[in-house]
Amino acid sequence: MRKPDPNVRIAVTGAGIICSIGRNKDEVWSAIAESRAGIRKLTRFPGETFPTDLAAEVDEDLDAMVPLDRRDAKRMSRSDKLAVIAAAEAIAQAGVALERAIVSTGTSTGGLVEGEDYYFKRLLRGRRRAPASLVLQQPTSGPSDAVARTFNLGGGVVSNATACASAGAAIGMAADYLRARHADAAIAGGTDALCRLTYSGFNVLQAVDGEACAPFSSRRKGITLGEGAAYLVLERWDDAAARGAQVIAELCGYGATCDAHHPTAPHEEGRGAEAAMRGALCDARSTAEAIDYINAHGTGTLLNDSSETKAIIAAVGTGVPVSSSKSYFGHTLGASGAVEAVITVLALANQIAPPTLRLESAAADCPLDYIPHTPRPMRMQQALSNTFGFGGSNVSLLFKRA
Amino acid sequence: MTRIAITGIGVVAPGAIGVDAFSDLLDGGQTAATKIDRFDTNGLTAHTAAVVRDFVPRDFIAPMKLRRMNNLSRFGVAAARLAMNDRGSELTTAAGVAMGTAFGPVQTSVDYMQEYVEKGAALAPPQLFAESVANAPGSHVGIESGLRGFNITVTQRESSALAALMYACSQIAKGVLPAAVVGGVDEVSEIVFGVLDRVGTLAHRNGAVDECARPFDRRRNGMVVGEGGAVLIAEAAPRKQPYAFVSGFGIARDTTATISDWGSGVEAVSSAMRAAVEDAELSLHNIDAIYSSANATRKADPLESRALQTLFDDVPLVVATKGYFGEYAAGGALQLIAALLALRDQKLHASTGFSEPDHAMISPTRRSENRELRHILVNSISAGGGIVCAVLSRDAS
Repeated sequence: MRKPDPNVRIAVTGAGIICSIGRNKDEVWSAIAESRAGIRKLTRFPGETFPTDLAAEVDEDLDAMVPLDRRDAKRMSRSDKLAVIAAAEAIAQAGVALERAIVSTGTSTGGLVEGEDYYFKRLLRGRRRAPASLVLQQPTSGPSDAVARTFNLGGGVVSNATACASAGAAIGMAADYLRARHADAAIAGGTDALCRLTYSGFNVLQAVDGEACAPFSSRRKGITLGEGAAYLVLERWDDAAARGAQVIAELCGYGATCDAHHPTAPHEEGRGAEAAMRGALCDARSTAEAIDYINAHGTGTLLNDSSETKAIIAAVGTGVPVSSSKSYFGHTLGASGAVEAVITVLALANQIAPPTLRLESAAADCPLDYIPHTPRPMRMQQALSNTFGFGGSNVSLLFKRA
Repeated sequence: MTRIAITGIGVVAPGAIGVDAFSDLLDGGQTAATKIDRFDTNGLTAHTAAVVRDFVPRDFIAPMKLRRMNNLSRFGVAAARLAMNDRGSELTTAAGVAMGTAFGPVQTSVDYMQEYVEKGAALAPPQLFAESVANAPGSHVGIESGLRGFNITVTQRESSALAALMYACSQIAKGVLPAAVVGGVDEVSEIVFGVLDRVGTLAHRNGAVDECARPFDRRRNGMVVGEGGAVLIAEAAPRKQPYAFVSGFGIARDTTATISDWGSGVEAVSSAMRAAVEDAELSLHNIDAIYSSANATRKADPLESRALQTLFDDVPLVVATKGYFGEYAAGGALQLIAALLALRDQKLHASTGFSEPDHAMISPTRRSENRELRHILVNSISAGGGIVCAVLSRDAS
C-alpha cells in the first residue's frame, strides 16, 4: 500500500467557520480583533434548568444560511447545518474541483440534539408517533454525509468521533490521505451543536464555570460550552500551485497520541499532550525553536490548563506565547480542533496572535505568556494548534505561514 | 511494497466468543440471528437480530472497572483482550487504537436522558455521560493495555471498521508507530432497531418467506442487524505467523446516495475497488475472491453486483457473510475477520441465507470450498454513499 509521503506538502486553500462570534472568517476575525466574546445566557433549551446558565450559542437562522432549499435543510441536524455553512465558505474560497475530494469531519455529538427531541416526543406520544426521521439524523456520520451530499463530493467520506479531539484527528487523517494520494483534495473540519446531554453532562462532572470561562486564570473553574463548525480545504501543495490557487497556510504535520490514563481526565503531567506536540514537530520536520505561537486547548478547567502548560514547557519550552480562543467562543467540543485550527490559520495570515480574554491574573500553575486581553501583532512563521479529548486522546496540528 | 500483518484476532460476536468459535460459526453455515428477547418488538414488522449471548464480561474485566463500562466498552475491551491473547504477548505501549462504530452509544444516551428526565439535569449519573461518547470503548482499550499511540474512533456507518483499519494501516506504514489495535463495536438497541424497522430496512416475514437476511437472493427483503465487538492486531514486523496481510485500500463516495439509503453509483463502487487493487500493486485478475458488503437490502446488493460485473471480466467467487452475524455487527469488523480466516485456512465460506438466485445479480458461494487464495477484496458500501474497499493478501510480498 502507498504510505503517506512526508515529502508531499499540504496547502490550505480555503477556510470556513461559524461560531458564537461570527458567521464567517471576516466576522470572527473582527470579533477577535475587538476582543469581543460570544458568551451569553443559554437560550436553546427553554424550560430546562441547569446548574449554570451561560453558553456560546450560534444565534443565526441556520435554515436561511444553508445553501439548500428549506425542505432539504429540514432533513438535516443542527450539526449538519453548521457543518454545511462552514464548508460552503471554505469551498467557495478554495475554488477546488470536488469530484475526487474527500470529506473528513470530526464531531462528538452529531445529531444528538435531534435524538433528544425524538426521545422526548416518544415519551410524550409513544413509540409509533415519534418521528423516526429525527433518529436518522443522529449518527455521528451525518455531518460528513451532509457536506458530501450538499457539494456532490465523490472522493469518499470519513467521520471521526474521538470526543473533543475529533476535528483535529479528522484534519490530520485527511492530510495523510492526501499524502498517500487516496484523494485529490480534502474538506476537513468539525462540527458540534449544543445539546442537553452535553450541557447537563459537563455540569454533573462539575467541569463548567458558573461565569464565562477564564482559561489559565487563577479564578478558573471550568469550561463554557459552545457550538460551531469549521472546515479547511486541503490540497497537495503542487496541485494547488499548478492551478494557481491562493495558499493561505501550510499544514506541515500533526501528532496524535493517547494518555492511556483516565476516561475523562487528562494526565496530570500532560504526558500525552507533550507527545502529541512532539509528534507534530517530528511529522513537520520542525523544531521547538521554530514555533512562534501555540493556540492552546485551554479549556479553563483546573486540570487541563495546568497539565497542558506542563506539556508545552516540556515539548516547546517556556518562551512561546500561548492563548486560548475558547475565551471567545467557549468549548465547541468535537468541532474545537477545526474551529481553533481556522483561528490559528487566520492568526498566521494576519500576523496577529489572538489573546486569552478575562485573564486578570494567571494561576500559579500557569507560568507562561498567555497573551492576556488584547490581540498581539507579532511575527509568526509556525504555530501549533492543540486539541484534547475524553479518553485522553490528543492531537496537535502544526501550521506554517504561506 | 508495504503490507501490514494481522497477528491477533479477538471476537465477541453473535454465536461466537473467540476467534475459534467464530470460525466454527462460519463453518457451520447457520445464521446466529434469533428472535429478540431484549426488548418488545410487538407492533414492529421485524423481530429478529443477531445478538451476543453467552458473553460473561467479568471473564475479561475486573468488577470495579466493569461498572464504569457500557456494553460497547465491554465488547471492545473483551475483544482486545482476546486479540492480545491470540497474538501471544502484549503490544508495546507505543501502539495505537482505531475503533469503528456505526451507531455508537445510542443506548447509553437514552439511558442518560431517562435519568435526566427522572432526576433532573444536575443529577444525572456522570458515569453514563462519560460513556456517552463514541470513543469510550477505544479509550478503555487504550487504558487497559497502556497504549499511548493515536486513539481514534471512526463512525462511518457500515464501513466504520474498515475505515478504522485504513487509518491504522496508514500510520503503521508511515512509520509513526509499530502496531495498532483495530476493530469495531456496536449493539442492537431498541431505538435504532425500531427506527430501521419503520423505514423498511429490516428483513421481515413476507408470505411464506421467513424473517432472514438473504444477501443476493431473489427473495431478499431487508437486513438483519447485529452487534458485538471485534479486534485485530495490525503490525509492521510480526513475530509470529500472521493470519494474513493488509495490502491496499480504496475509498470513494456514491454521489447518487441519499442520506439514509444506498444509491445507484456503480462507477463509484467500481472505482473504490479498482483503487484498492491498485494500492495493493495488483491487477484485477490477481483477486481470488470477494468478501462482499451485501446485506440483503433492496438497493445495496444490486449496486455491488453491478459494480463487480462492470469491473471484472470474470467476477471472482463472492462470499456474503452478513447472513451469519447481521449488518453493523462489531462495526463491520466481522466481515473483515471472515476474510482473514479464509486466507489463513485457504477455504472460502458458504454464504448463508442465499438459496434462490436473482438473475440480475451475481450469485454468492453456496458451500464452503477449499482452494488456493492469495488475495481477497473486501467491500464495504454504506448507506449515505461512503465506500471503503480493502485487499487482504496471504503473503508478505
